[in-house]
Amino acid sequence: MPSGLSIQDFVIFSPVIVLTVWGLLSLIIDLTLLAGQDSTTRNRSLGMFTLSGLVASLVLCQYISYKYIGPSPGTDPLIFFGSLNGGVLFNQFASLVILFAVLITCLSMVWNFTSHWGEYYAMLVWSAVSMIILIAAEDLLTLFLALETMTICLYLMTAMEKSKQRSAEAGLKYFVYGSVSSALFLFGLSLIYGLTGSLSISEIGLVLSSTQQPGLTGNVVGAVAVLLILVGFGFKVSAVPFHQWAPDVYEGAPAPVSAWLASGSKLASLVAMVKVMGGGLGSWAATSTPTSPGWVGLLAMIAAATMTYGNFAALGQKNLKRLLAYSSIAHAGYMLVGVIAVGLSTEPEEAAAALFFYLVVYGLTTIAGFALAAWIDRDRGTEEVEDLNGLARRHPYVGVAVCILMLSMIGIPPTAGFFGKLYMFMEALNVGGPDKVTMMGLVALGLFNSVVSAFYYVRILKAMFFRDTQRAELKWMGPEIALPLGLGTVLTLFFGLNSSVLLTDMESVSRSGLHITRRNPDPLDYNKPAPRTTRPSQLKPPEPSKPAEAAKPSGTTKPSAAAKTSAVINAPAKAEGPGSAASAKP
Amino acid sequence: MIQALFIALSGFGLLMALGTVFARNLVHAGLYLVAFFFVVACQFVLLEAEFMAAIQVLIYIGAVAVLLMFGIMLTRNIQGDDTTIVTKQWRLLGLGAFGSVLVVLILGINSHEPWTQLAVRPEFPVDATTKTERGRAILSMTPTVGREMMTRYVVPFELAGLLLTAALVGAVVLAQYDNADEAEALAESAKPSATQS
Amino acid sequence: MTQQIPLTWFLYFAAASFAIGLMGVLMRRNAIGVLMAIEIMLNAANVNFIAFWRYGTPSASEGPLTGVMMALFVVTIAAAEVAVGVGLILLCYRRWRSADVEEFDGLSG
Repeated sequence: MPSGLSIQDFVIFSPVIVLTVWGLLSLIIDLTLLAGQDSTTRNRSLGMFTLSGLVASLVLCQYISYKYIGPSPGTDPLIFFGSLNGGVLFNQFASLVILFAVLITCLSMVWNFTSHWGEYYAMLVWSAVSMIILIAAEDLLTLFLALETMTICLYLMTAMEKSKQRSAEAGLKYFVYGSVSSALFLFGLSLIYGLTGSLSISEIGLVLSSTQQPGLTGNVVGAVAVLLILVGFGFKVSAVPFHQWAPDVYEGAPAPVSAWLASGSKLASLVAMVKVMGGGLGSWAATSTPTSPGWVGLLAMIAAATMTYGNFAALGQKNLKRLLAYSSIAHAGYMLVGVIAVGLSTEPEEAAAALFFYLVVYGLTTIAGFALAAWIDRDRGTEEVEDLNGLARRHPYVGVAVCILMLSMIGIPPTAGFFGKLYMFMEALNVGGPDKVTMMGLVALGLFNSVVSAFYYVRILKAMFFRDTQRAELKWMGPEIALPLGLGTVLTLFFGLNSSVLLTDMESVSRSGLHITRRNPDPLDYNKPAPRTTRPSQLKPPEPSKPAEAAKPSGTTKPSAAAKTSAVINAPAKAEGPGSAASAKP
Repeated sequence: MIQALFIALSGFGLLMALGTVFARNLVHAGLYLVAFFFVVACQFVLLEAEFMAAIQVLIYIGAVAVLLMFGIMLTRNIQGDDTTIVTKQWRLLGLGAFGSVLVVLILGINSHEPWTQLAVRPEFPVDATTKTERGRAILSMTPTVGREMMTRYVVPFELAGLLLTAALVGAVVLAQYDNADEAEALAESAKPSATQS
Repeated sequence: MTQQIPLTWFLYFAAASFAIGLMGVLMRRNAIGVLMAIEIMLNAANVNFIAFWRYGTPSASEGPLTGVMMALFVVTIAAAEVAVGVGLILLCYRRWRSADVEEFDGLSG
């Protein structure tokens, strides 16, 4: 049994607690203080209230980071009996999710797309809470519960624009696809539980990297489990065979909600994916023989299909939100290349850092892109690309900002998008061994796709700069659009010019928070570096003749078992597979 | 004896599952689903998880199935006839998925040695000398569940509370009419907007 | 003592229910029918969890009830999901006068 709760756990977790309470308060305020007010007043007041809570929580995060966690403590401590990460990873990603939520709250105040503001802001805050827990989750139970809480809040937010039919339709589509995929994901988890006897991610990693395990070769159940888990994650990040919901939902949902889906939800799901696929199933990433690939082979096909399909489908889109949806699918494809690099690289923490860099930059850029959609939605009620005609002539600053954003989306040098792609593809090319050819192919396809993507991003710029329109001018955007648009642009440029700032940060996050496991590369090494591989795998058949005997060892070895447990809790770095322990230290 | 019971029970359960999927009348499908839930509860009893069996009956049959029935009644889709089952290609896809998933899973289960060898479940005797946590968990599950919820699973427990709150609030928001004649106005506007897009 | 049920039998039952649920998801057009099929799949996963829990010997760091707790939380999730699902279906039904998934085709292209 892990050691008990300490007050420190609650201190570290306090930003999340504040947010949860804030959601409840916004519900209560909507029903009491603001009862009978019109929708605009309620939107404004509750939006400001939510913003204050988010900012308070962000400040709290930074304070805790400064006071309790420090810059890079080595290995993140686990809190709440080992169910959550309570260190740099938790803190940094909590800050990022809250930052995204601040921008989304600003966008939500732009126009009145619903009349249920108390509920809307509560869902927004609670989905942020579950994203943070999803990122921090160290066991699959917490992870699955957080994933479900997040998606249920998002279904509700999607369907909340009740004056529009398409919003309800988008909500139902999202719900049907989402709940089917989570049922498949859950069945995969149950098989993994059966194979390893544990739901803790680091424990699963340990069991699978131990010597008794045959790996994925000939392991049909393991392959099915991996497939089902990939379906679950593939849906959440909208990878290609499971992407059908994304364009419809992004188009049907109100622009702030679409932005939240593309930024926060994608960030949280991909970090969770890296943790599960890299940390738990890392030793199944690839097998030694090229003829029987691990999950990397499957994911490589998904990644290739995702980026190609996303980019080519985006070429023909006229609706701005739909175009951004396909662009989000395409970016998911690039990000999956990053996940593969995590699975194969000899320095998986570096690869994960590059992926996280890309995720953060993409989140900021896409929020700014949806801010543009929110603007024209507010003033014109539609969000076609041609509604942007002539925008840059009337608002030159906006023109410059969008120009920077689109360059970042394509990946052109002075912007952060370029460095994101550069780091991620460099990590992919650093992969050695039999998979090098695959990675080179994927990177080449990624570069080709970036060129293709330029066509539709430039179309937005062309509409803004070179077309003229007879339609009424857009009103001044107001601070609630200016902030997401401006901050997104400034940060994109800033992280482009000082990319090492964010990259160092993400490296410290992934170094201390991730424990990527590796398959032991050399069969002759099997018995050498195994400090913990002697642990018996769980589903060992007991002696049929004397079942009482089977129970005895677990009873008598209890003290040492407890000591082992606390060792796991306090030093999860040891949980790394022998392969990475040997090679990942520079 | 117990094996025969298991076979009979599982066969009945799978028939009920098939009934849920194929019944034309959705109310019948709902009733088959209740029977399936009950069979799953019986399986939990066979697995010595009586607490879970109780939860299964209380929540699945008592809440989920009733909620689904309300959904069916409120959408007045009782007479499902042909519209509840899709066209031929989807039917083929469904059958194909069914067959392949079943074959792959059964092959996988059969080829996984540690599972096929587990014909006897491990026993965890609870007496004065060997009091294992696990033995107590099986013998008296309810207090152990309570203790686990307050210790190891405290974050999931709180998060489940949040999830249920969010679902409750959200379901109310969605099902609520914004004003009295919204339903009529929407029914009017439904046709033109559907054709236009 | 009578002969016990082997673990694999429970797994076969779960696998078969899961396959039936998947088939139902693909073949049903009515949204509530899809919801029912999803419930079958979740139940199949729960049978797996509890069977693995009962037949496995837990490792030291694992709690005594891992599989059961997972199943318990899955039941919670299923309840919440059905509540939200029925709410969404009602919302759409009020707009289309139908709960047929294929008729919701306002968004496409």
